Amino acid sequence: MSRNLEGRARRAGRAAAQQPLEKQRIRYELPVYDMLSPESVERLHHASMRILSEFGIAFYDAESRDILKSHGARVDGDIVFFDPEMVTACVAKAPSVFTQLARNPENNIPVGGNAVNFAPVYGPPYVLDADQGRREAKLEDFINFVKLAYLSPYMHHSGGTVVEPADEPVETRHLDMVYSHIKYSDKPFMGSVTSAENAADTVRMAEILFGAEAIRENPAVISLINVSSPRRFDDRMLGAMKVYARARQGMVITPFILSGAMAPVSIAGTLAQQNAEALAGIAFAQMIEPGTPVVYGSFLTNIDLQSGAPVFGSPESQMGLYASAQLARHYGLPFRGGGMFTSSKIPDAQAAYESVMVMLPAIMARTNFVLHAAGWLENGLASGYEKFVLDCEILGMLHTWSKGLDLSDEALAMQSIAEVAPGGHHLGTEHTMRHFRTAFYRAEMFDYNSAEVWTEAGSEDSFARANKRVKKLLASYEAPALDEARDEALRDFMARRKAESPKAS
Amino acid sequence: MSENNDLTQIETSELLVIIHEDLYDGLADEVVQSVNELLRRGMSPYETLTQGLVAGMDVVGVDFRDGILFVPEVLMAAKAMKAGMAVLRPLLAETGAPSIGTMVIGTVKGDIHDIGKNLVTMMMEGAGFKVHDIGINNDADKFIAAIREHKPEVLGMSALLTTTMPYMKTVIQALEREGLRKEVIVLVGGAPVNAPFAEAVGADAYCRDASVAVTTAKARLEERRNAVPV
Ligand code: B1M
Repeated sequence: MSRNLEGRARRAGRAAAQQPLEKQRIRYELPVYDMLSPESVERLHHASMRILSEFGIAFYDAESRDILKSHGARVDGDIVFFDPEMVTACVAKAPSVFTQLARNPENNIPVGGNAVNFAPVYGPPYVLDADQGRREAKLEDFINFVKLAYLSPYMHHSGGTVVEPADEPVETRHLDMVYSHIKYSDKPFMGSVTSAENAADTVRMAEILFGAEAIRENPAVISLINVSSPRRFDDRMLGAMKVYARARQGMVITPFILSGAMAPVSIAGTLAQQNAEALAGIAFAQMIEPGTPVVYGSFLTNIDLQSGAPVFGSPESQMGLYASAQLARHYGLPFRGGGMFTSSKIPDAQAAYESVMVMLPAIMARTNFVLHAAGWLENGLASGYEKFVLDCEILGMLHTWSKGLDLSDEALAMQSIAEVAPGGHHLGTEHTMRHFRTAFYRAEMFDYNSAEVWTEAGSEDSFARANKRVKKLLASYEAPALDEARDEALRDFMARRKAESPKAS
Repeated sequence: MSENNDLTQIETSELLVIIHEDLYDGLADEVVQSVNELLRRGMSPYETLTQGLVAGMDVVGVDFRDGILFVPEVLMAAKAMKAGMAVLRPLLAETGAPSIGTMVIGTVKGDIHDIGKNLVTMMMEGAGFKVHDIGINNDADKFIAAIREHKPEVLGMSALLTTTMPYMKTVIQALEREGLRKEVIVLVGGAPVNAPFAEAVGADAYCRDASVAVTTAKARLEERRNAVPV
C-alpha cells in the first residue's frame, strides 16, 4: 500500500470512530433531588389515605369492584373505599425493580432503581414536519417514528401509540401498531389499552414473540393505564388492567391531571389526589396478581384558568414532578413522569424552553420511565418529526451528565496539568490525545460555527438541520432481522384477527 | 350588590345595570331578586331576559374572550344566569315567548374526556340555554332517549379520541333512522375534531371551543327559526 493510501485508510477509520452510536443505558449517578422533607411526604401520604378511606375512588366495572371487595375494600355503588393498611400492604407486593424484555436481549431495560429510560411520544392523532405541515397521522408515520426511535442511541424504548394511525380501521389498528414495533425495532414496546380485547391481542403477540413462559417471568410489554381523574377508573382501562395483571405484564398507572379542572388549583392538593389515585390502581393490580410489575405514574400539569386550555411546561408541573417522584420512592415503586412537553404548535423557542424545563426535573428526580421523551408538540395532539430528532439531541446531553462526575486519577489529569507550562495549551498533551474524540458531547443538531461559516452554509436554523437529519436517518434505516417463523406466526395471527373483526369485508 | 338595598326604590334602567354587574360578579341570589323585582314592575319575561340577563352575559362572554375573566369567574356568572333563567323559563313558556334554547350534550361511547364538554355546558348555560348533560361514554340509544325526553333544539357531542370520533357518525345515522335528525341541530367538538370531519359525519357544524359553541348554536337556531317552513 502506498503511503498515501495508508493515510486515507487511517483517516477513514477515524471518521468511523467518530460515530458515537453505541447503545447506552443510563444509570443516574448524581444525587437525587428530594424537594420535600420526610415530614412533608408523610403529610401528603396521610391526606391521600384520607381520600382513599373517606372520599373513595369510582371503579366503573362490576368485576373489579368484586375483586376489591373480596380483598376487604368497602364498596358503595361505584365508589370503593380503601383501608390505609390494606392499601399499603397491597402496594408493598409490587416489585421495586423489574426487567422489561426486548426482542434483542441487549435492549432489555431495568425499570426502577437508578435506571432512567427514555420512550417516545405517545398518543398524537396528527404529525408535523417542515415539508408537509400538520396532517392526520398514517401507519406510514407510525412506522417512521418507530424507525427514528430505533435509530437513536439515546432512546431505550420503542414506545406505544407513537402516533394514532387514522388510515387503519379502529377495530384492528392496535394489531398493526404492535406488529410495527416488533417488526421495525428490537427495543421494548408498549401494549394496547383501549379495550380488554386489544390488551389480550397484545399479550398473545408477545407470547408468539417471546414464548408464553418467558413473559410471565419478565414482562414483555408495559402499558399505559390512565386514571380518569378526578377519582375514577373507567371500564376500558379496568378491562385492559385485568388482562395485563393476569398475564403479569407491566403497567404504568397514571393519574393524568390537569390541575384546576381535575384536581385542586394547588400543587399540594393535586399531589394528595394523584397519590391516592395511583395507589388505588397499584393496589388493585396487586390484588389481581401479587407481584405484577407496575410503575407509579404522574402526568401532572394544569389548565390555563383564563382560557381552559391544557398547559404543558408550567413551573407548577415541574415542582409536582419532583414531589411525585419522591412519593414513588417513598413507596419503593418505579416512577414514570416528565417528557419533552410543550404547548407550542411547532418546534420553536417555546417548544425548546418548555421541553427542557420539564426534562431537567425529570432527570434530577431520577425518573425511571420517561414517556414522551421525544417528539411531543401541541399539548400532545401532534408528533413532530423534527422535534423528535431535536429532542433526541437533548437526551444525548442528559445521557452525558447523568453519569455524574468522573473523579478518577485519569480524569483529574494531574500529568497533563504538569506537562503544560503556564500560558501553554492543552491541545496536544498525551491526555488530550487519549480522550479528544469522546471528551465532549458534540451536538449534531446545534451549530458551533462562526457567523461567516454559518452564513456560507446557508444560514440554517435548527429546524432546517433537523429536517435534513430526519431524512438522512430514515434513508439509512435497515430493519433488525426478525426470525422468519415468528414473523409468519405474527402475521397469521393478525390476519386471523382482522378476518374476525366486524369491520372486515 | 350584596348590600341590603331596597330594590323597589331603584329605577328600572339602573336595576338592569345592577343585574349586569351581579351577573358579572356571579351573584346568583341577587340576580334572582332583581329579576323578580323587574317582573313585579310588569316588565315582560322576554324583556327581562333580553335586556337583563342576556345583555349582562354578553359582557361576560366578551371579557372571557378578551382574556379579562377567568374560567371560574365565568362559571359563577353562568350559575347566576342559570338561577335567573329558572325564574324566567316557565313564564316565557306561558307567554309563548321564544326561549333561548335547549341542548343535550354528552361524550360519545368509549370516550371519557369530559373537561371540554363541561366547559361547553357552562358557557351554554351562561348564554341562557337549558342544558341536559348526559355525561360520558354515551351510546346512540342514550342520545336518542335523551332527545326523546328533553326535546332539545341542539345536540352537542364531544370526542377527543380518533378512535371514538367515528362514533359521532353512528349516532347521527341512528338519529336519521329514528326520524329525529331534522329535530336537532347537531354540533360536534373536541381537540382532534375539525370542520371537514364534522361535515363527513353529517353534523351541522364543528365548534372549535366553548365560546364558538355558543355563537354557533345561537346562529343556527336563529336561521332555523327564520326559515320559511316548506
Ligand atoms: C357542541 O359540542 C361541543 C363543542 C365544542 C367542544 C366539545 C363539544 N367538546 C370539546 N369542545 C371544544 O370546547 C372545549 C373548550 O374550549 C375544548 O375541549 P377540549 O377537551 O379539547 O379541551 C379541554 C378544555 C382541555 N383538554 C382536555 O381535558 C384533554 C387533554 C388531554 C391531554 C387528555 C386528558 C386530560 C386525558 N386523557 Co387523553 N387526553 C388527551 C388530551 C390532549 C389534548 N391536548 O387535547 C388525548 C385526547 N388523549 C389521548 C389518549 C391516547 C388517551 N386519553 C385517555 C385518558 C385521558 C384522561 C382520562 C387521563 C384525561 C381526561 C380526564 C377527564 N376528566 O377528562 C385514554 C383514553 C380514555 C378514554 N376511554 O376516553 C388514552 C387512550 C390514553 C391511554 N391510556 O392510552 C390522546 C388522543 C389520541 C387519539 N387517539 O386521538 C390525546 C391527544 C393525548 C395524547 N397525546 O395521548 C374544545 O375541543
